[in-house]
Amino acid sequence: MIQAQQSVTQRSTKRVSRTRPGDVATYLVLAALSLFCLIPFAWLFEGAFDPKASLYLQLPSRLTLDNFERAFNQSGALTLLVNSLIMALGAVVIVVICASLAGYTLSRLQFRGKRALMYGILLAQLIPVTATIVPIYSIFIALHLVDTYQGMILILATYQLPLALWIMKSFFDAVPPEIEEAAWTDGAGRFRAIYAIIVPLALPGVSAAALFTFINAWGEFTLPLILLSSQDKLPLSLGIYRSFQAYYLVDYGQLTAMSLLYMAPSLLFFLVTRRYLTRVTVVGATAG
Amino acid sequence: MHVHRRERLVLLVFLIPSLLLLVVFLAVPALWAVYLSFTDRSLSGEQARHFSFIGLDNYLSLFQDPTFYQSLWLTLVFVFLSAIVGQFVLGLLAALLLNRKGLRGDALFSAAILMPLVVPETIAAYAWGSMLAPGSYGMANKLLGLIGLAPLDWLQQQPMAAIIIMNIWRGIAFAMIIFLAALQGISPEILEAAALDGAGAWQRLIYVTLPLLRYAILLYMLLTTIFTFGIFGLVYVLTAGGPGTETQILGIYIYQTSFRFFQLGYGSAAAVVTLLIALALGLFYVRALQTEGAT
Repeated sequence: MIQAQQSVTQRSTKRVSRTRPGDVATYLVLAALSLFCLIPFAWLFEGAFDPKASLYLQLPSRLTLDNFERAFNQSGALTLLVNSLIMALGAVVIVVICASLAGYTLSRLQFRGKRALMYGILLAQLIPVTATIVPIYSIFIALHLVDTYQGMILILATYQLPLALWIMKSFFDAVPPEIEEAAWTDGAGRFRAIYAIIVPLALPGVSAAALFTFINAWGEFTLPLILLSSQDKLPLSLGIYRSFQAYYLVDYGQLTAMSLLYMAPSLLFFLVTRRYLTRVTVVGATAG
Repeated sequence: MHVHRRERLVLLVFLIPSLLLLVVFLAVPALWAVYLSFTDRSLSGEQARHFSFIGLDNYLSLFQDPTFYQSLWLTLVFVFLSAIVGQFVLGLLAALLLNRKGLRGDALFSAAILMPLVVPETIAAYAWGSMLAPGSYGMANKLLGLIGLAPLDWLQQQPMAAIIIMNIWRGIAFAMIIFLAALQGISPEILEAAALDGAGAWQRLIYVTLPLLRYAILLYMLLTTIFTFGIFGLVYVLTAGGPGTETQILGIYIYQTSFRFFQLGYGSAAAVVTLLIALALGLFYVRALQTEGAT
């Protein structure tokens, strides 16, 4: 392993020193792709601080925080923010508890039908919300969950659970059972060993599952669109959409300010999870 | 590892909370959708409580409804052009370039490409609302102007192109992640051996790298097709399915019939079609995982 790394570094240092024919083209193509991905965000960042924000990207005459002030005073951004936090964090708590418990069992215990169950969970992850939203609405009516925080939290958690289960199982799989067994011989029972040894070792898995749940629940639009109705319970995704759908003349300063507010946690999450992003996506996509 | 009988019971109990959620809010709704699709239930009024079993009537009317066919067709075009072609080509290109040795700034490039996937879908839709704004000040139209073309009212004149471009932009990163991980699994010795045998860069790509990526490509194609079939919010926020029904992809069709026109039974029939497509592709995907895992 170390040898392989050394040979890679040697190779790369050798290559950096001379420019290969494809290098310029590589940088040009990557720069063009990056630009394509970033340009649409420019308007959101510019408009939020522009006193005369419009639908178009423009040079601001001066910078201001008035747009954010109006978002909080006129559009109730604070309520929306708090609602989004309650729902996303609620979903995180449920997912972390459920997925840690079940993830451990799925990793350590052999039982009949386990393979089928794992693939069933993988398949569950692929069911689009649009295919089940009508019955979910009916079930919500039957259980009196329409327009409640509890209902939103449960449904958001359910949709994030399959990926979280796979993440947790894969992180538990990476902890060798021998470590646990060593603890038993030291006199600790299985569940004490889990608490003392496995939980700390599986903590990166828990945080990866928690972060992914948070961000997916935070961005959810379809479920609150159908399952919530009171203005004072809407999360940011829907609150922003509703307030700007209602007016003919849109206040673009407020729209962009609220959008920045709404995407800030996503960007923060992105900075924190960059090192998990590839692994979690690959675990979710290739079952290991 | 050894497990006592009593521990075994506790460990099985650990599964219950997860299974409960998955059954109540995922499995039951999926089955209930099938049941509802055989009824004439509506969202409100008399037929919300007293609905009857009408057999295959919903499916018969669904398959006679030109807007359903239109929506199925639009969804296929949307999936094919945005996910299968656009995201695949650009994502694979990004992965191949980022995988080159000695590249500087790769963290910055990949961060930029990941941004569109990381933000909430409504934000993506607002950003493209500005990009595609009509008149000569819209960013997309400024680019058209650079190559000497007249400005377009994108969302009115080219709505399908608009949502396809937006979805390509959003999904490049997913393809990039999958292919970058697969590329990092290819040992450099194989490519070096090919180079020693005199294979040029193109030949190495076509005869060595791409065949080695075929499993990753298959998984990617299946997953992206399923995900793209299920898209709703991204397109709904930008176009609401309009103008008219010109961008009414399946997700929007289901939403409109069920929650705008209150025909839950009829909407469920369309939902079952989506469900069957997702499950059929999903089973194929699980099989692909199993066969590859066995070899």
